[in-house]
Amino acid sequence: MKLSRFFKVLYIIILGFVFFTFKIHSAENINERVKKLTLELRCMTCQNQSIYDSDAEFSNDIKKIVKQKLQEGESEGDIKKFLVERYGEYILFRPLMNYNNIFLWSFPFILLIIGLFFVLIKTKGKKI
Amino acid sequence: MNRIFILTPLITLLIICLFSLVYLLSGKDPSKPPSALLNKDVPIFESSSLYNAKDKIKTKDIKNKKTLINFFASWCSPCKIEHPLFFEIRKKHPELYLLGFNHKDPTSDAKKYLEDDGNPYHFVGVDSDGLIALEFGVFGLPETYLINEDGMIIYKYMGPITKHILENEIEPLL
Repeated sequence: MKLSRFFKVLYIIILGFVFFTFKIHSAENINERVKKLTLELRCMTCQNQSIYDSDAEFSNDIKKIVKQKLQEGESEGDIKKFLVERYGEYILFRPLMNYNNIFLWSFPFILLIIGLFFVLIKTKGKKI
Repeated sequence: MNRIFILTPLITLLIICLFSLVYLLSGKDPSKPPSALLNKDVPIFESSSLYNAKDKIKTKDIKNKKTLINFFASWCSPCKIEHPLFFEIRKKHPELYLLGFNHKDPTSDAKKYLEDDGNPYHFVGVDSDGLIALEFGVFGLPETYLINEDGMIIYKYMGPITKHILENEIEPLL
């Protein structure tokens, strides 16, 4: 009888320990995710600082929103989309993969290919 | 013939470069962060009046009327600079609906500010937690938005508006 009570208490203690460990771990996990995401966001009112590194009111508001949205289960992509819709792509340090940016990055190579094409034709013409 | 052969690719490249430059820089002022909500629908909001919490304003209430939205606060010094201009706007354009959002301000401070400097707004909504400002993409006070009758943001200005901005940028849109 006494042994059964002992196991009941032990069972409750283990459950409590697992519960609190899980709670602490998830809180740390959320804070880590907030840090990771806000390091990729630009503070719009500061000089080239990330939201994470800045203590400006704007940055603190965004940190709060990011934390709240992560706790609600939103993905990092959803949160970035939410912020880009309101503040523009400027808020992201890493540009989005969209048609404008792909064109911007590939344009020098397009020019190089066109240039090479003409050089090739010209040199071929000279040989003939 | 040889000259044409050399010039044609150069002119073609120049034209492509010019078009690309115009396309990439169209409507963008490098000195100002871009306005993501420009030419988009006004965000959904609901706010209580500063003077009567039961009196509310919603997005649908500003449909079918041209509205000038101004985010301000009593603690914001540049807001004080532009404040008298809103009286001028209201006098010159009585058809324009002036909506002020009091941003992160204690109610008593906001009321005192409007008592001392006057209240040019038709409605003063409270944005105590800054969530309405977040929906509008506000990141510093003051900020002013012009909304057309279709509920679209047609103009945004960050910082205190001046007489020059009013006459050259806002009034032509009214």
